[in-house]
Amino acid sequence: MDNALKNLESKLEAMTPRGLSDEGRESCHQLIDRLVGESELSTRGSSSRTVNWIGTAAAAAIALSIGISGGWYFGKNKASSPAVVGDQIVETGDVAAFEHLDHEAWVLTEESPNVYVTKSGEIREISREVEVTKDVVQHRESGVVVTVETTDHHVVDAPKSDF
Amino acid sequence: MAVGRTNLGKAWREWLDESAPRLLAYARARCNNAQEAEDLLQDALIKLWGYQEERGYRPPDLPLAFSVMRYLGLDHGRRKGRREKRDQKIIQFQRGDDHWLDPALEETEEAELLRKEVDDLPEKLREVLTLKIWGGLTFAEIGKILKISHNTAASRYRYALEQLQKKLRHLQNIGNG
Repeated sequence: MDNALKNLESKLEAMTPRGLSDEGRESCHQLIDRLVGESELSTRGSSSRTVNWIGTAAAAAIALSIGISGGWYFGKNKASSPAVVGDQIVETGDVAAFEHLDHEAWVLTEESPNVYVTKSGEIREISREVEVTKDVVQHRESGVVVTVETTDHHVVDAPKSDF
Repeated sequence: MAVGRTNLGKAWREWLDESAPRLLAYARARCNNAQEAEDLLQDALIKLWGYQEERGYRPPDLPLAFSVMRYLGLDHGRRKGRREKRDQKIIQFQRGDDHWLDPALEETEEAELLRKEVDDLPEKLREVLTLKIWGGLTFAEIGKILKISHNTAASRYRYALEQLQKKLRHLQNIGNG
């Protein structure tokens, strides 16, 4: 760029743009205060909701585990004893906040059965089984789906009749 | 650096006080008067606030602010065009003191001519000139905002200066008789 253009550039740079009018500045500051206020409210609201559903989901998952392993399931029984998680007492009544979507149960055989003969001469078969139950529930308020899976280990000891 | 929530208002007000003249200079290129430009700046503030949510509501960088102003300005221009067609037969006026550049303390005839000639530049040239001189952006940043290459931005800038210089010389020659 030649000197004449650089000189012109300097002249332009020396011309400062106007700022906001007093009224415009005041309006913008009020707008900023409003935006800050609204964001604080929305952040508080969303964070407390998040904490709430996470807490409820965790509590319900624990409650469900206790309930399922204790032999009850949704709508048929109400577990009355609270569970203790860390230093927090979780009421199993939190289950009401969830809707039961699905229930599955299946049995896994952990290893091949062992056959043995008792002192009385009886032939028996012993094996280990794992019973898996899976319940899918949905938190009614947030719509979050929680899967609760429980496993029960059984030793199956039965007479062996077929070979 | 994240801005603490309690200091957000202060940070944005400071950012606005520092950036408003640059943003307004750009806004004025797309508005009829200072009032419209200030309204455009307020609209931009709301948009920018939303965009900055994921960045902890930190005040935005200037290139982003100019991009938002440009987007809103284009929209404003479209609406203004429709409105002007409707209103042009009713009234036309322009306030003599309503200029987007502050007159310097040592006001000269040349400065006055310059202001007028900048206003009369074609929009593409004036836009690049405004973003470079009063926006303080690099050609690369201008290119990103206007969606042109930085070489094109630099060429437009140089051409704008040449046009201004030519007109100034012409006017000075007329003045000298």
